[in-house]
Formats: sequence, structure tokens, C-alpha cells
Amino acid sequence: MPSAATLIFGFPDVGLVGVIAASYLVEELNLEEIAYIESEMLPPLVVLHDGLPHSSIRIFAGEKIVLTISEVPVPVEMVHQVMNALMKWGESKNVKMMISLSGIPLEDRQDATELKCFAAASNPEALKLAQDKNIEPLTEGYIVGPQAIMLQHASNTGTPALALLGQCFYNYPDPEAAAEVLKNLANIVDIKVDVSKLLQKGEEIRLRARDVMKRTQEEMGKMKKGQEMDIPIYVS
Amino acid sequence: MSLKKRRSFSDMMDDYFQNIEQWMEEFEGPLAERPSWNLRNRTLEPLRETAITPTEVLITVDLPFTTKGNIKVKPAGKNTLEVSAKMNRVVKLQELGLTHYEGEFHKYHSYLRIPVAVNMDKMAVRYKKGLVEIHLPRTR
Repeated sequence: MPSAATLIFGFPDVGLVGVIAASYLVEELNLEEIAYIESEMLPPLVVLHDGLPHSSIRIFAGEKIVLTISEVPVPVEMVHQVMNALMKWGESKNVKMMISLSGIPLEDRQDATELKCFAAASNPEALKLAQDKNIEPLTEGYIVGPQAIMLQHASNTGTPALALLGQCFYNYPDPEAAAEVLKNLANIVDIKVDVSKLLQKGEEIRLRARDVMKRTQEEMGKMKKGQEMDIPIYVS
Repeated sequence: MSLKKRRSFSDMMDDYFQNIEQWMEEFEGPLAERPSWNLRNRTLEPLRETAITPTEVLITVDLPFTTKGNIKVKPAGKNTLEVSAKMNRVVKLQELGLTHYEGEFHKYHSYLRIPVAVNMDKMAVRYKKGLVEIHLPRTR
């Protein structure tokens, strides 16, 4: 595992942006699996790859990054435990920063010609980093899901953390949004990621990801993900 | 005198299963514990979303690997729409990652239940980037 790495999370969420981006990173950067989560509290499920069973939540590593990816949505009752376990593990390995890859729903997304990527930060240092990289910060509003747990935890511990949120479809897999998030991630972490193959395989990904998207919709409903579109009450 | 053509047992069974499938799609919704594919009909069930505004019902259906000319949207009753779309290429189940089943798919097919009263005659359909938008004005 690299020293002073950036810990990245890619979980199924709106538009499956995080998990599409993370799985593309594993393939594109040829990341190596270094760990996985096993827990009696998770659903009784393994993922078969090349005839062998794997945990649905795995950790991969490359030169500068450590990436955690979940191939199925994490049950809402387990999100806190899973995120806390992963973040504590990362801190024990002295990660220097945490970044969650996800989306932010855009109304009439199909009409959008350009997609923006926003950043929510855990502390002023992370906020400045996003701004220095020309990523528009989310300054007000609600964040729901694993990235909310990451931001709260990182805010408490002082580890800089960013949630990168690409404008996307709410209920449909969105490879274009994943590509946009990856471009911004590459800029922050200083890695090279060519997203052209991801964009070329867009339709194939949309076709294959239908079932994971359906399952993710169920968990997003339980998590009250729609609250991210609520207008917040102002408390200074 | 016209003779009524007798239907075969297999036709009747096909109709029976089709009716059950339609009922399941309409009333159980897309989140039921059943596969999103149908080997007998060689169809895939698309992802879809329904939004109800004060003036209309807006349904979107995600249809990758389709073109505008191959999409059919038609009423199947007072409060049901039938959406089908031929795919640009045949997709094998193994390509989708299920290697222990054999089969291929030629089109998407889905019945969509409209939850409020609408005017089907004024339905407007738009297609963009593999996504179909169906606008149905609400009736009072």
C-alpha cells in the first residue's frame, strides 16, 4: 500500500456515478486488490469473478491511491458501520486525504450539453484545494449517504476530505457524469486518467448497470436521498 | 357463415403468461424480486421513472442501444402504456455477465401504469440520447 495515499470511495448512489467511476479506475490504472470487508452484518452475498467468490466491498491500491468500491448498494442500516470501518482502517494506514465520488441530480439532465462537478469539503483546507482546482464548492444544502458520513468524520478528525459530485441522472446510470468526476479527481490527486474508453462504453454500461441501479433506487429511497434537493433552513 | 378459428393450447398459454407478466409489471412495479429480462420473449425491461406534476405525468425510459425510429409507445388501456424498442444489436445474456444462462435479447419491453387520470390522445413523445420522454396531460 502506498504511503500518504488518498483514500477514495466509490459506492452505488445517484446515477451510479461513484461505482462507475471507481470500477473504471480499477481497470484503467490496473489497481491491485489489497483488502476486503467481511461482516456478519452484511447481506449473505458474494460476487463471483472468474469463478471465484469476492466480497462485494473491496479495497484496491495503486501508486498514489487506495480505492474502496462496493459492487452492490450498501444497506442503509450498514452505511455508518461500513464507512467508519473503512475510514478508521485508512487512518491506521496514514492516508493523507479522503475523496468520495458521487453525483448530484440534475433536472432535465438529458438536455445538458456540459456537466459540472461540485465539491463538498470537510474543512477550509479541503475547500481551498477544490477552489484552487476550479471545482465549484457546494456552500449550502444537504448531503445524504456515505459521503455525508465521510465529511462529518473527517471534519471531526481533521483529515481533509472532499465529496466530488458530478451532475447526473438521479435514477439512470450516468457514465458521462462519472467521466466528469474522474477528470476532476485526476486533477486533485495528480494522476492520469483517460476517460475516452469510459465514454465510448457509455451505452454498454447503461445497459449492464440497470439491475444495480434498481437495487440502488431502493436503498436511496430508504436513505431519504431526495432530501438533498430540499431547501435548507438557514442556521448561521 | 364465418368460422371462428380455434386457438392452439400453446397460443392460449402464451396469452396467459403475457397477461400475468403485464399484471406483474403494472402492479408490482419495477422493483419486484424478478429478473429484468425475459428469455421467452427475448426482451429486457428498461429502467423508467414517473413524475406527476399538477398538469401532466412525465415518464422517462432509459433505452441504450436504440434509435428514435425503433421505439413504439402506445396506450394499452385507460391507464397503461406499452413501451417497446428494438435494439440496434442483439445482446447475449453472457455479455451482461450471467454466464450460467443462455439467451439473447432483441428489444426492450415494458408496461407502465399511469397512477392518475390522463388524456392519452394528447400524448407527446420525445427522444434524446437514448432516453424517451413521454408527456401525458392530466385530466380533471
